Amino acid sequence: MAKSDLLQGTLDLLLLRVLVLGPNHGWGIANRIRQMSHEGLDASQGSLYPALHRLELRGDIRSEMTLSENNRRARVYTITAAGRRRLEVERRSWAQFALSIQRVLDGTAD
Amino acid sequence: VLTRWLAWTRGIARRRRIDTEIDEELAFHLHAETEANLTRGLAPEAARRAALLSLGGVAQTTESVRAVRTLAPDAVWRDLRHALRSLRAAPGFTLVALLVLTLSIGAAATIFSIVDAVVLRPLPFPDADRLVSVGERNTTRSAPEPHLAAPQNFLDWRTQQRSFTALAAIGYASISVRPERDQEPETLEAQAVTAAFFDVLGVAPLVGRPFTIDHEVDGRARVAVISYGLWQRRFGGRPDIVGRVLPGQLASFEILAVMPPGFAWPVGATRPTEVWIPSVFRPDERVRQNSYGYRLEVIGRLREGVSIDLAQGDMDRITTGLAAQTPHWFANRVAIVEPLREHVAGEVRRWMLMLLAAVGFVLLIATVNLANLVLVRVSARSRELVVRSALGASRWDLVRTLIAESLVLSLAGAAFGSLLAWGSIEVLRAAMPADVPRAASIGIDLRVLAATIAAAIASGLAFSAAPVLLFSRHPGSIDVAGAGRAHTSTHSHNWLRGALVTMEVALATVLLVGAGLFLASFARVTRVDIGFDPQHVLTVRVRPLVGAANWALAQQRHRGLLTMVLERVRAVPGVAVAAWVGGGVPLRGDFRTTEIGVPGRVLPPDEDLDFNQISPDYFRVLGAPLLAGRFFTDADRDGTEPVVIINEAAARRYFPDENPMGRTIEFLGARRIVGIIGSIRHEGPEAAWRRQGFVPLEQSDAVGATLVLRLSRDARDVLPAVKAAIWSEFPGLALPDISTLSEYLDGLVAERRFNMLLLAVFGILGIVIACVGIYGVLAYVVLLRTPEIGVRMALGAAPAHIRRSVLQRAAMHLVIGLAIGLAGSWMLSTLVAGFLFEVRPHDPWIYAAVSGTLVASGLAAALIPARRAARVDPLIALRAP
Repeated sequence: MAKSDLLQGTLDLLLLRVLVLGPNHGWGIANRIRQMSHEGLDASQGSLYPALHRLELRGDIRSEMTLSENNRRARVYTITAAGRRRLEVERRSWAQFALSIQRVLDGTAD
Repeated sequence: VLTRWLAWTRGIARRRRIDTEIDEELAFHLHAETEANLTRGLAPEAARRAALLSLGGVAQTTESVRAVRTLAPDAVWRDLRHALRSLRAAPGFTLVALLVLTLSIGAAATIFSIVDAVVLRPLPFPDADRLVSVGERNTTRSAPEPHLAAPQNFLDWRTQQRSFTALAAIGYASISVRPERDQEPETLEAQAVTAAFFDVLGVAPLVGRPFTIDHEVDGRARVAVISYGLWQRRFGGRPDIVGRVLPGQLASFEILAVMPPGFAWPVGATRPTEVWIPSVFRPDERVRQNSYGYRLEVIGRLREGVSIDLAQGDMDRITTGLAAQTPHWFANRVAIVEPLREHVAGEVRRWMLMLLAAVGFVLLIATVNLANLVLVRVSARSRELVVRSALGASRWDLVRTLIAESLVLSLAGAAFGSLLAWGSIEVLRAAMPADVPRAASIGIDLRVLAATIAAAIASGLAFSAAPVLLFSRHPGSIDVAGAGRAHTSTHSHNWLRGALVTMEVALATVLLVGAGLFLASFARVTRVDIGFDPQHVLTVRVRPLVGAANWALAQQRHRGLLTMVLERVRAVPGVAVAAWVGGGVPLRGDFRTTEIGVPGRVLPPDEDLDFNQISPDYFRVLGAPLLAGRFFTDADRDGTEPVVIINEAAARRYFPDENPMGRTIEFLGARRIVGIIGSIRHEGPEAAWRRQGFVPLEQSDAVGATLVLRLSRDARDVLPAVKAAIWSEFPGLALPDISTLSEYLDGLVAERRFNMLLLAVFGILGIVIACVGIYGVLAYVVLLRTPEIGVRMALGAAPAHIRRSVLQRAAMHLVIGLAIGLAGSWMLSTLVAGFLFEVRPHDPWIYAAVSGTLVASGLAAALIPARRAARVDPLIALRAP
């Protein structure tokens, strides 16, 4: 699977999933996605930051500017209660979606 | 312009902040990625390039994040911008709407600011809701009166009550202070209060300590608490004020304390009290005999947890107990506990609330009118709405646009209205009756602004409700096919529009009937014959200060002094006729009575007659007609035969079937009646005749009196010489009561004039707004019907016929609205019956006049669209798509 081909909407799901583990900044989130997908997914191609800001405007996450370990200003994102709820919903619908795709591909339904 | 500027700066500032934040965020990412690459072993240059690549181009990323942040943001802001844009695109509508809103909200804000300051706002004292007034009321009188209390009762209440932390009594006093350098003598507003006064109100002095109950005794009472204003004005705010002396002309007072700035009692008085001295009860005020004097205002602070009802029960218990001992003191008298705020507002409260209701009607008419205008606009814009909905706007999006527009309008109306109110309050304050309590605290403050904005928002929501309801009920009202043209779907609009106009007319009718009733009452009052000519008469009260010890001496000496003053005043150029009157001056609100007896007749006990001491020319000054006998002359003096002149009302009562001339009555001694004078309305045009008796000043022991002067010049030119004449015999005497009789008369009708003027303004506003409504609806209907009219004209209809059909439509709204309005007025006008003078609330002439005015102005408003309809060119009308 090509690294850039994230389905529309799945990036939000991944971001929320990563932030459930704890507050993180943009670079950290991108790294986490890379690690957790065993280098299979790469979210830093110009879509990561717009997605984060969109989630924040929607109220699923919030952010604040903090000083990082080496004294640089970084924006750290935290998931909100609404974000956790949304993650649950999206996770379920993703599972449903994946299952459906799988069924079609396997062709066992007749 | 302001909103645009605000929007612009806000946008700029926001964008700049967002940009720096995005820059920082991405810079951090770049840095972290570069570090990571370095640890992986890349060369510094390559590490950075790889990092930049991974970000996918810093500029593009910044751009897309910015797009997220600035485009998607608060929908409210976007709605607002959209609303402003579309209001700008319809300047005619916007202007009319703003005008209507500004006028009505401005009127409402003005009246509210007055009513709030005078009636509604809590008094400016700690825990003011526990402050009450305790007074006595005569149960046989239905007319409300100031609830004053007798000293005897106050003293018993004070010791027997269980409901109040304290009770305090307040009595009138005034202190004349010695003039400073070149100043004229000055009289300070003062009050004689019991020591608990300051505790009850809950305000401690700024400097010093107030007096105590030990000072309420003759001999120890020469102490004073002064206001902050007096401290600054007369003592320059000097810090060693406590212990200094306030030099009164009769007695001097040691200053014990200064109250903090802002402390005032009466609250918000235009002429604030400056000195409080201890109340001293005379020995005869401490026992219950057969004379009653109700002179005290009593205030109290309820104990924690005690309600007004409980306190009332407590006072009833005390009254029952006292009545058992001295029943004649309590025949028809009860003690009344009421919230202090209501007591302070007093009678003013009734008409103030009436004005507030009237201005509420104005606001209501404006709201209905705006609903109509917005409805017209929705129809006119249906093409735009259709396009937007086709582009994916949900119905809620469209509704939100409408609400945003309405709110922008009403808030702008609130802003302009507040400005209008700010300007008109000063005008109204000048026109307001002088006796309105708390008048000095009237103004636009946060409370008034908040109420104004709340009213504006409520109005905005209300007038956007009609189109919104229509929207959600009839999706088809967004008329896709014929966007903007008359077809079936607009029927419901038309019906609603008609109903709204009818409602406006009905509301305007009620306002106009109210205005008519008040106008008619005022006209009647000004036409009342008061029995004399109050124009060009100056009155100057001369009340010499005489201590009790010198009273007898003053009674001997002063008559001569008064005569001398009169001689000097007669010589002043501009004084046509001059006289003294003691007892009561017409229209000034004072009178004195004394017992009368008629030999050979049995009069009811306590029969009183007004007692006046006058010099010979008094009736010539007033211009009151002599009905029989003669005026007094200089020959009626001490030692000659005691004589009396009575007025017609007294003659009718005591000598109904005989000629009173030459008869003798007991009126401070036996006196022969030498003249009968026409009755005058001593207490003003709305009061009944008083029975009056007049004796020669020379045959009385007057210590002071009032100069009444008929002038041939302006009072201002004459006054300095008159004052000089008085001071030549009474040096250093303060002259606080100088006024013309017409000024007193103005004061008596001020409340009526004020109410009439305001109601007239409201009535005119109502009729103008209703006419705007009629015009707007008809103009729109004509626009919709243009093709139809074109067809009719093409088929041969005469322009006059077309015009008539439009006018008929207007007449229908007018007549139905009028009918509803007249019926409403019929019911509501009984509520204001108490304010009317010799006008019945159902006076048919007024209802007829209102109907005529409304129909005439409504048809005039309809004439413009009717003409336009009649001028429709069939060719153009039919060719239009």
